[in-house]
Amino acid sequence: MTESIVSVFRALIFIVIALALCGLIFSVAGYSAPDMFRAIIDGAFLRTGALQQALRWGLPLFITAAGVVISFRAGYFNIGAQGQFYIGAICAAFAADWLNGLPAFIVIPACFLAGMTGGALWAMWPGILRLRSGADEVITTLMGNFLAVIVLIYVTSGPLKDPSGSGQQASSRPLDAAYRISTSYGVSPTIIAIAVLVGIFMWLLVNRTAFGVLSGLAGRNATMVTWQGARLWNIGLASFIISGALAGLAGTVELMGPNGRLASGFLPAHGFTAILIALVANLSIVGTAIVALFFGGLASAALYLPVIAGLPSSAIDIINAAIALFITAKSNIVDRFLRNWRKRVWTT
Amino acid sequence: MSEEKQIVLECRDVSVRYGDVVALSGVSISFARGRIHAVVGQNGAGKTTFARAISGLVSPDTGEIRIDGRALPSGNVNQARQAGVELVHQSFALPPSFTVAEAMQFGAADGRIYSRRGLEKRWQTYLDSLNVNVKAGQRIRDLPVETLQSVEIARALVSDARLLILDEPTAVLSPEGAQKLFERIRHLKDVGVTVIVILHKIREVLAIADTVAVLRGGMLVEGPVECSGINAEKLAELIIGPAARPLEEDQKAALTGSLDTAHAHLAQSVDQAAVEPVLKLTAVSTRPDSDGPPLEDIDLVIRPGEILGLAGVEGNGQRTLVRAISALAETSEGKITIEGLDVTRASLQTRRAAGLRVIPFERNVEGLSLTSALWENWSARELLKRPLLSMVRPSELRQRCGTALDAWEVHYSNVTQHAGSLSGGNAQKVILSREMDEQARLIIAAQPTRGLDIGATAFVWDSLNRARARGCAILLISSDLDEIMDICDRVVVMLSGRVVGTFTPPYDLADIGAAMTGVSK
Repeated sequence: MTESIVSVFRALIFIVIALALCGLIFSVAGYSAPDMFRAIIDGAFLRTGALQQALRWGLPLFITAAGVVISFRAGYFNIGAQGQFYIGAICAAFAADWLNGLPAFIVIPACFLAGMTGGALWAMWPGILRLRSGADEVITTLMGNFLAVIVLIYVTSGPLKDPSGSGQQASSRPLDAAYRISTSYGVSPTIIAIAVLVGIFMWLLVNRTAFGVLSGLAGRNATMVTWQGARLWNIGLASFIISGALAGLAGTVELMGPNGRLASGFLPAHGFTAILIALVANLSIVGTAIVALFFGGLASAALYLPVIAGLPSSAIDIINAAIALFITAKSNIVDRFLRNWRKRVWTT
Repeated sequence: MSEEKQIVLECRDVSVRYGDVVALSGVSISFARGRIHAVVGQNGAGKTTFARAISGLVSPDTGEIRIDGRALPSGNVNQARQAGVELVHQSFALPPSFTVAEAMQFGAADGRIYSRRGLEKRWQTYLDSLNVNVKAGQRIRDLPVETLQSVEIARALVSDARLLILDEPTAVLSPEGAQKLFERIRHLKDVGVTVIVILHKIREVLAIADTVAVLRGGMLVEGPVECSGINAEKLAELIIGPAARPLEEDQKAALTGSLDTAHAHLAQSVDQAAVEPVLKLTAVSTRPDSDGPPLEDIDLVIRPGEILGLAGVEGNGQRTLVRAISALAETSEGKITIEGLDVTRASLQTRRAAGLRVIPFERNVEGLSLTSALWENWSARELLKRPLLSMVRPSELRQRCGTALDAWEVHYSNVTQHAGSLSGGNAQKVILSREMDEQARLIIAAQPTRGLDIGATAFVWDSLNRARARGCAILLISSDLDEIMDICDRVVVMLSGRVVGTFTPPYDLADIGAAMTGVSK
């Protein structure tokens, strides 16, 4: 337990350093650093409605990130969450289109089924390639992302094209209001319930099943579990499928909740932020939930950056990137500091 | 003696701790100049830590280290090197893609720019002067392990080392390689270099060292004493300590290296031919793959209560045989049965259910996941018997793992600690506790004592003997002929993927050796 507390502290220290660095850079560039921090803290948590916005962005991120955790723990670097997210949303949109007119209690579950299946299939082919012939999943899932972007462009400007669209951004016909699971505002009990269920099931899967223990072992040493008689095929493919299905689920939630329609190139950084979240959380499900809400807060703060600090809202991407950089860089200094600090705290 | 006054290295009350683990505690020792000093002890006794401390790689928490009478600033490798101290590591640290000349230059650069040829010339002369038989243009990865070690030692001597520390140099060497190394060490002594060599085979200590010091549990229990004044039995007792289980006479004899052990326990051999074999390989061949030579037409039978030794020069198909029995190499022809069940096409999981257990060759790769917790490593076999989605209670698994590890006398502090934090002997015991359960019928023990110290080796042999007494069939693969001849009821020799000889006690070393090298018939 102390180990995970330390790793959360470690992550927090890096985030503070990253924010400080961004403040420095922005103030050199002529913006006000205190205003920037105020915008972030206000926009993320303090303003009225800020917390809801943090949830609106954080919950889908959490769902995708939980999937990333599953495949990363098993040792497969499925970085195709973005593509699986898109394909999930696209499949759900097709389902909604085909079933249009049927009652909501049929259409909504069908859309979720379609979305999760789509995401799972989009993760499955790199999984099969990896497990059958050793094709590097980093390459194949990355290619999958680009393919998914192209499919999204095709779908929104072809089969599902909204004829009344403005033409600025290709998008699909909006979903019937009866099929939406939240307003455009983005948070609803349904979405919260879905995220909580995902959290519970994934926590159980990781911490309380044979799959969780074995995939953790396989992720650290696949040779050893092979000598124990494991079939990497089962564990590996299941990991790919689960992580794809969750990304697809998040895509479905975004489509049927806040967005209400497919737009070409919508939420282009969703999958990558989810990977970042999973890594910051050190591949723990509880940690992922906390970190996802934090990043949800940052996303919500992006709206306030132009207002309060006069920064472009894309400045939040710079902050995200700085955090990613600091988290992934292994800093011995901070680790040594934490070790000494822990020794002092725990021994006294 | 005048040498007594010439202290080259002195430790005063040196302690090193890693986190909660005390690796060295209060070691005070001094070494005389110009002699060969051995430091021995079991795995986990603190030998490697000691080597690292005196070479400045780790800084002691207390105490001081003096070289030539001057205190070494704690944990400073450069200062230690300047004082003439060089450490040759247990595992080699040369970059595989470098040529020998490049590797020599790396770390000994003199600021000048050389052409490839010039560089090779520079180091060829040097290597020749040390009688290292290697071409300076060869790649490190192409060198046999003996040569690699010679290069490492040559590299350590570049900077005019006056104190050379060798950390378990014989662990990777064949007996002949070790002999050559010993000659080299003696030669170094002749030119005035003081050598401290960390060892764990008593026979080697007595063969090479002038003095010996014994570490146990991080403490100095004896020494340095003159090797002429101590015998193998006394040394074994010092190393193992009073708490050790009493060794059987033949085990003790084997550990201390006297070859002529009586095969007393083999007299009991009943008429084994009548008993149904546990493992039967009939004309088994495997498809060639990248992992060693394929098997050709192997016939093998192991009966209950029998230890079959598999001898052979390494790389002659022993690994493939283990993989074929474990369903990790594809059987192209022939038939494999375990307990009468045809498992030729069955998965490893099915074979394990039939009673197969494997102690793999590579303890740290195939046997354990070093960065995973002990309880995860321990419970892997059992979890694989269940459906993937079945619920488990980690607290229960952890508790059972703790009980099992205690029963196997594993020294650990917590079942959640990483397997990589255990010493070699303890890590092997974790594997034993997983693989040698009550349901085991056929145990494949591949190099189970490699790199283990005397106490852990005795423990492994004892475990194998107890499993045999229970009626298990055991296949022991070892490159240590002493070990094979000592505890095996029958020995087969493999050469190029074939079985080329079967031997029964009393064994003749010369016959087995001839079969291994393909000289006979």
